[in-house]
Amino acid sequence: MTALGARIRGIPSWQVTLGAALLALGFLIAAQLASEGPRIRYTSLERTPLVEAAVDLQAQQERLKQQVLDLRASIQDLEAAGQGGTQLTRDLNDQLQRARIAAGLVALGGPGVVIRLKDSAVPVPQDGNSRDYLASGQDVLAVVEELWLAGAEGVAVNGERVTTSTAVVDIGGSVLVNSAYLAPPYDVRAIGPATMYDRLLTSPGFIDFVRTRAETFGIGVEYAVLDQVDLPAYAGSLNLRYGRVGASPTPAAEASDGPTGTP
Amino acid sequence: MRRRPAQLALTAVLFVLGVLAVAQFNGQGAGQGLSELSVSDLTELVANVTTRNNQLRDEIATLERQRETIAGAVQRGDTSSAQIRSDLNRVLGWSGVLPVTGAGVRVTVSGPIPGDAVELLLNELRNAGSEAVAIGGVRIVPGVVATGPAGAVVVRGVPLGDPVVLTAVGQPQVLAGSVGRAGGPIAQLSARFPDVVISVVAVDLVTVPATDRDLTPELGRPRL
Repeated sequence: MTALGARIRGIPSWQVTLGAALLALGFLIAAQLASEGPRIRYTSLERTPLVEAAVDLQAQQERLKQQVLDLRASIQDLEAAGQGGTQLTRDLNDQLQRARIAAGLVALGGPGVVIRLKDSAVPVPQDGNSRDYLASGQDVLAVVEELWLAGAEGVAVNGERVTTSTAVVDIGGSVLVNSAYLAPPYDVRAIGPATMYDRLLTSPGFIDFVRTRAETFGIGVEYAVLDQVDLPAYAGSLNLRYGRVGASPTPAAEASDGPTGTP
Repeated sequence: MRRRPAQLALTAVLFVLGVLAVAQFNGQGAGQGLSELSVSDLTELVANVTTRNNQLRDEIATLERQRETIAGAVQRGDTSSAQIRSDLNRVLGWSGVLPVTGAGVRVTVSGPIPGDAVELLLNELRNAGSEAVAIGGVRIVPGVVATGPAGAVVVRGVPLGDPVVLTAVGQPQVLAGSVGRAGGPIAQLSARFPDVVISVVAVDLVTVPATDRDLTPELGRPRL
């Protein structure tokens, strides 16, 4: 025993560290392979291409959204470069920038709260419906609505800004916001006044939500009141295909200002 | 001397370990939820994401045209206010500051339903691609929510009478089909409120008014 102990003590420390790292590496490789295995076995012939298509489309969507944001930034830069024009042009540019901020097309930062919704950790009873124990789109929508009523001036769910056109959809236990697939937990971020969280806590709708979802089914509802909450810009379409916009807010004549500079 | 190769080996192993740990973490987040969905749910999800991607491509095409026009104007030293005004109107119309007129649907709810039921219809209209929506003549914008018990629903301080009327601009067939589909909001509400009658009518021309709400953030600051 003493000889074995002496041998173990004689192993250099780097060999011990390397051994531990290799052990962890082995575990991770095994976990990676194991996580692939059951999915392949579980996946039906129809489901495999659909899951791959969904993942691929979601990755495409991220790239397209970034392209939209980059183009908007580039247009803003060009408009700023043309600021040397007339007073009318400068006024219009200022209005446009304010309109973009109000519409949610610009990322915002400010004081607020984050409400995190998590799937229940409570075991589903034999006669229970497992869907009731998952944080759902209806839960997200309820919290978003309660935050608006509590005075929020901007809201986002995970990476998606909530705008005038935002729908929150449940599809078989998964949640889509702005038609983007979001994985739980769902962080509902809101910028608003210091009183926002207190108003939320005293809202009959929010109390009812907590009672029915958190207390009955164990849906996790966590919160944080923060000095700085960041909301992303909305990166979706503004195109109106079926609608035409009504009267302009500025009745000034629609015309080109012509070349700038002194003649 | 023997320590250096050992350190290198350890660094390499730890690097691979880190990469694998991140891959495992990311893989668990992205794939797990999707692989649990049924084939019909996955089909619906793929359809939703595809529609959004197509809308994003349209938006990119619009923005590219807009950028070309502005870049040309800037190069010529011409600061055309028409292009800026057109962009401004597009943003104001979409966000609810200006009225929007066009083809769409009128959804009429006769009988008492609560605020969350009205929100269910509204959410479906948004999901079906509505471009502007009003409830009881009040334009729906961020911060405006239908609340209250059945028969006493209020939107932006305006009590909704009976019937409650939602007007939406968008592709009429798609909007009507979406709210009226099997298992959709009308079916769900009819089951919850058997005495309530909900009708959807496609209209060639409907006007959704502008909001009177100031959408400018007071506390939020743009992050550049």
